[in-house]
Amino acid sequence: MIPLIVAFPLIMAFLTSILPALRREKFSKYLFLIGMLSSWIILPQIIENLPFNEIVGNWNRISGIEVAADNYNLLFIMAELILSAFVALYVYGNYYPKKIENKAYVLLLLLHAGLLGAFISRDLFNYYIYMEIASVASFALVGISKEKGARRAAFKYAIFSLLASYIFILGIGIIYLKTGYLNLALIKENLRMSREINVALTLAFTSLLLKSGIFPLHFWLPDAHSKADAPISALLSGLVVKAPAYGMILLTLTFPIGIFVQRTLLTLAFLSMFFGIAMAILQKNSERLLAYHTVSQMGYVLLGIALLNPLGAAYYALAHALFKGGLFLSVGTIAEHYNTRDLEKLSYRSSKLLAIAIILLSLAIGGISPFIGAFGKSKISEGLYGFLKYLLYLGGIGTLVSFTKLNYYLSKRKEKAEIPRKKTIIPLLLGTLTLVGGIYLYPHLNILKDLSSIAMAFILFYLLKNLGVFEISTEAFIPEQFSSLGKEINAYMFLFTALLLLFLLNFL
Amino acid sequence: MISPELVGIMIILIGLYGLLTKENLIKIVLSINVISIGLVLFFIGVGYVEGADVPIMPREKVVDPLPATLMLTTLVVDVAITSLALALILRMRREEE
Repeated sequence: MIPLIVAFPLIMAFLTSILPALRREKFSKYLFLIGMLSSWIILPQIIENLPFNEIVGNWNRISGIEVAADNYNLLFIMAELILSAFVALYVYGNYYPKKIENKAYVLLLLLHAGLLGAFISRDLFNYYIYMEIASVASFALVGISKEKGARRAAFKYAIFSLLASYIFILGIGIIYLKTGYLNLALIKENLRMSREINVALTLAFTSLLLKSGIFPLHFWLPDAHSKADAPISALLSGLVVKAPAYGMILLTLTFPIGIFVQRTLLTLAFLSMFFGIAMAILQKNSERLLAYHTVSQMGYVLLGIALLNPLGAAYYALAHALFKGGLFLSVGTIAEHYNTRDLEKLSYRSSKLLAIAIILLSLAIGGISPFIGAFGKSKISEGLYGFLKYLLYLGGIGTLVSFTKLNYYLSKRKEKAEIPRKKTIIPLLLGTLTLVGGIYLYPHLNILKDLSSIAMAFILFYLLKNLGVFEISTEAFIPEQFSSLGKEINAYMFLFTALLLLFLLNFL
Repeated sequence: MISPELVGIMIILIGLYGLLTKENLIKIVLSINVISIGLVLFFIGVGYVEGADVPIMPREKVVDPLPATLMLTTLVVDVAITSLALALILRMRREEE
């Protein structure tokens, strides 16, 4: 049953791609919509039979490929289905020009299928293949963006993501060499920890950290996510970075995680959280601001993984997919209609619905209580102790400061822009979904704490504004553009290799 | 005796060296290809069994065919990515002009 969830979009991707040869291109949007929404049909049956494993083709476990749905990955599947349905409705119709419409639809279907395939898989190699389908589709989708510099961003994204994949397979190869299986359940049964397995895990974790954009391996993310078109950015930030996070959850569920790995992940999670916020506060480009928040929010997801609290990580991933997808769609819509991504020139005054959507989503990402963000945070902080809890709280306030900045610029009155009704309703629906979902999952109000954090965020925002922090250009200490792309890739490659070696040295 | 796994890892490191030092974008794409070749060799080595036969028709003792099959998939990904990366380089050139 579960494999069908992937099969529908894959078949539709194939059918859509042969339409131009049959001279029936005008049907491609219908096939696209069917492909993007048909996976919903399977969902009720999966939920009914939870937890659910299946070996594709009824082989035995050793020779077949296992797929499964349980409490953890159901949340990822839900996030995927919800956000991709909204994005599909957003792009459906005439978002893309006629010339590339068909190809964009095929790529979106492949991205959808790849993500679903990665989220249901219980076999390391199968997981890699589906993640790769999704990644390759997303490189191409970044590359077809109208924005200048998108090709450069796509190239950088492709090279680093590909390197990470190869290092990941090298890790899988070592695991296969040592255990003789790729199926995670069988690996767990036959596991005997050794130095080789530790090295393999280090390789796998480092490459998945790169792929999920965790600081200090985040360098490709702000470019790729901010140069893509709005709906693509929503998918990239909301879902594509979640696939490697799911991989890390699979690894933590299968292998015993040593104290060193756990400490490293915990440190990286907090570093990523605060680095993302600090960089976001300094951004003047609306999409880059949101992209840096993805770095910070992935820190929260990693925190859940590091604390061996996969359910918390999964809930936070779901919450982040909803609000970040909504934010990219809403802010991206405004940016597209003003024809600039400069925060100082944008305004949501011309569309009340979008204004409401952005305010709702900003509250959700800040973790204000009836919203789903608060629920995600409460789940994550379950395993936290001592001062780390205050650090998490501080991170929430930082996020609120940065979104106060976003709303401050957007709420100023500027020239008007006509925004079609459909493009405003979809972000608003996502905004209400974060509220409704939050109330459904976690009906707690924490008015005092929330009001005080909002007040603190406002005070901090005006303080930073008067100190002139927002005038600082980030280029001074972190170059956004190197003299050549080649040099940039060399430099970041050095960072990745150094980090990888540092982690590996620990097992000598 | 030097094993194919070891040679594979050495080739991966050569590719990594290319990524660390070469500025030319086409050379960067080629370095990624070198890494993938090293990876293929590593996997073929993983599946090798001393003194075993080819895994065609039932025999007494055969090498493990699974790693080789996995590598076919990886090669497909590699071809797709190489063409995409080269196309992106062409587009970037056009944009700069």
